[in-house]
Amino acid sequence: MTIVTGKAEARRTLQPGRSGVLRSIWEHRADYAYVLPAIAVMLIVIAYPIYYTIELSFFKTPPGLQLRDKTFIGFDNYTTILTSEVFWAVTWNTLIWTLGSTLISFVLGFATALALHRDFIGRGVLRATLIIPWVISAVAASYIWKWIYHSDFGIIGAVLVGLGLADRPPNFIDNVSTVLPSLIIVNIWREFPFAMIMMMAGLQTVPDQLLRAAKVDGANAWQRFWHVTFPHLRNVSVVTILLLAVANFNSFIIPWIMTGGGPSNASHIWITHIYELAFGRQRWGVASAYSVLLFLILMTLGYFYVRALSGNERKEGSS
Amino acid sequence: MTRITLGSAVLRGTVVTVLMASLMSTSALGAPPVDLSKWSPEYVRSIAGTQNFDTAADCAKVTPLDYKGRLTFWYQGVFEGDPDLLRQYYKDFFDTFRKTYPNIQLEEQALTYNDLLDKFRTALLGNAAPMAVRLQILGGTEFASKGYLEPLKPEDVGYSTDDFWPGAMKAVTWEGVPYGIPTNNETMAFIWNADIFKRAGLDPDKPPATWDDVVKYSKQIHDKLGIAGYGLVARKNAGNTPYRFMPQLWAYGGGVFDEATANPTYEEVELDSPQSKAALQASYDMYVRDKSVPVSALTNQQADNQPLFVAGQLGMMISHPSDYDVMLDLQKKATGTDKDKAQTVIDNMRYGLIPTGPDGKRAVVFGGSNIHILKPEYVEGGKVDEPAAKAIICMWTSPEWSLKMAYAGSNPGNLNGFKTKWMKERLDNIEFLDVTTSMLPYGIPFPALPQAPEIMNIIVPDMLQNALTGAMTVDQAADDAAKRVKELMGGL
Repeated sequence: MTIVTGKAEARRTLQPGRSGVLRSIWEHRADYAYVLPAIAVMLIVIAYPIYYTIELSFFKTPPGLQLRDKTFIGFDNYTTILTSEVFWAVTWNTLIWTLGSTLISFVLGFATALALHRDFIGRGVLRATLIIPWVISAVAASYIWKWIYHSDFGIIGAVLVGLGLADRPPNFIDNVSTVLPSLIIVNIWREFPFAMIMMMAGLQTVPDQLLRAAKVDGANAWQRFWHVTFPHLRNVSVVTILLLAVANFNSFIIPWIMTGGGPSNASHIWITHIYELAFGRQRWGVASAYSVLLFLILMTLGYFYVRALSGNERKEGSS
Repeated sequence: MTRITLGSAVLRGTVVTVLMASLMSTSALGAPPVDLSKWSPEYVRSIAGTQNFDTAADCAKVTPLDYKGRLTFWYQGVFEGDPDLLRQYYKDFFDTFRKTYPNIQLEEQALTYNDLLDKFRTALLGNAAPMAVRLQILGGTEFASKGYLEPLKPEDVGYSTDDFWPGAMKAVTWEGVPYGIPTNNETMAFIWNADIFKRAGLDPDKPPATWDDVVKYSKQIHDKLGIAGYGLVARKNAGNTPYRFMPQLWAYGGGVFDEATANPTYEEVELDSPQSKAALQASYDMYVRDKSVPVSALTNQQADNQPLFVAGQLGMMISHPSDYDVMLDLQKKATGTDKDKAQTVIDNMRYGLIPTGPDGKRAVVFGGSNIHILKPEYVEGGKVDEPAAKAIICMWTSPEWSLKMAYAGSNPGNLNGFKTKWMKERLDNIEFLDVTTSMLPYGIPFPALPQAPEIMNIIVPDMLQNALTGAMTVDQAADDAAKRVKELMGGL
């Protein structure tokens, strides 16, 4: 009989003097070798920009000078941000934009998913049609909606004037009080199909026999939804909401293309304000400080997202 | 008696001869090719087609035609508001360059006016800029002051400084050193629809004489016909806004600084002066009080005014001669009755001088673009192929191409362009060139300061938006803008 020593067996041989994390790394050195190129790329394209942004946030970068002529000012940029009126106005806009877009998109997507879960003629066509806003690029969507809203050519204004409901086409995106809700509508139009798809996928996982059993037990449609369907969709709902929240908090294209943050900064959210500070006004230091704060907020959201995902995996593993 | 030795006599004679020859050649070579003191539409017509130029032969003296090299080049290109004619000339230019210099590997990239500065700044921060760039007049000073640009004067590409507008050369000079060459110079005109004027009870052949008249006419057009009177543009981060508002501000006697004076010092901020506030008040009156301008003015660019104008929904606007060609392009694309309506508008399109302020002051932005070479340390790869860069600069700023690339809209940067046969042809084919030519003497350059892009693209539009949305009163908006300019100049 020939005895062949397996490599895996040899790899797990304990090395003298190695313990804990180091030992674990040593034991899995081949695995690390596989992911090393990816880690190297990540460090170059993600870690370094993050480090540089954090570094820049502690420097004054006068717009009339090159970036290399920056001077160290400690936390002054953060103080400037937190004591400025613009910061609070932009933060308020960002909260309205994020919460409004996320929650309404989710509710609308969920409702549509429930409606499309039923069997009826033309369901496939309707599903495909409703996905269109999501597959259209944000840039194209912004221009389409800019024309829909356009006070002089837009269809909404023309209909309102034609029906005698307005003397003059309304200023949807040229008015400080209506611009943000108008942009939120466009954003919801674009992303509710995403929520719809996620929830439709979730609905496929609800056990049919449970719904039938509930029906036999005399539960009405609302009770079946609330006590059977919804609990099964809780995790996918959390993940969907978090994904939407992160995407919205970070959303740039629609507000920038449609209004450029105007009029009178009424549609500036964090990300557009950072862009203008950095690339329009060359306040790299302040813009970096804003970016660091934005990074911390997004990391917090990301933490909850990962936790929600881990919860899902644990649950699936235990079932 | 002074004794002069033979040696010193020869020396003196030589010095005097060289000096005289030098003075003679300076006056002969340095004289401007056109007489700016005689400037008028008639004078321009009289010099058009009087001289021939061989661009390839001229540029061969700068960079041999068989030169082998590689060039990366960014330029402010054609955008949605430009006519098809301009697109064709841009295409022809790059085709011709490749044929003339077949061994130069050219990698060009066109960017729109509103995107170019942001993208160029970003590239410079990453030392990934192109070797040469054609920037709007507003941008050059910022990059020169930061040391990104190589010194570059017309003589470096075979021309004389006197071949270019003196005002345009000032805009490419920072602390006494020229760092670029003007490719084109532009001034706009006032455009109105004679048919709309007639239907609104105005004289169809007379544009408004003053800005107060513009406000009055705009209201009359809106009240009588229910359409927009004046094409106000107040979008933020868009070059169109300062190009249309600053002529109004200067005409009322205002300014950001003293840029409208003969010898500006840029020391005192004047955005909060009573004259500047009067100009802002005029916009407020049109947008808020009379509601006589497009409702969408705060998000509009000139490209949004053009379809309004061709649809007969706008009475007056400020723009280039090229807007006539844009209207022709739009008319071609229209269908059914819209085509006929557009034709009526084109037939009734009139160009006039931009109105004056209350004291008879007339002003327009002296615009255009300049071409530059970057320092190697900021360029992708760390090398600049200078002969290749000079080849494209020589060609673009030549009498032929500086004229052709500005064919439908503005004026050639090289004054010799006015003498070419293409100028003669252009005067016959392009409508209303005379008017913008007549506006040139009223041209005022934006302040040649590194801070000018932020002032013109952000602070001035913000001032307009703050006043027009009611976020601030006219006084508050002007005071706020002045404060921001002072802070900016103070290094904040």
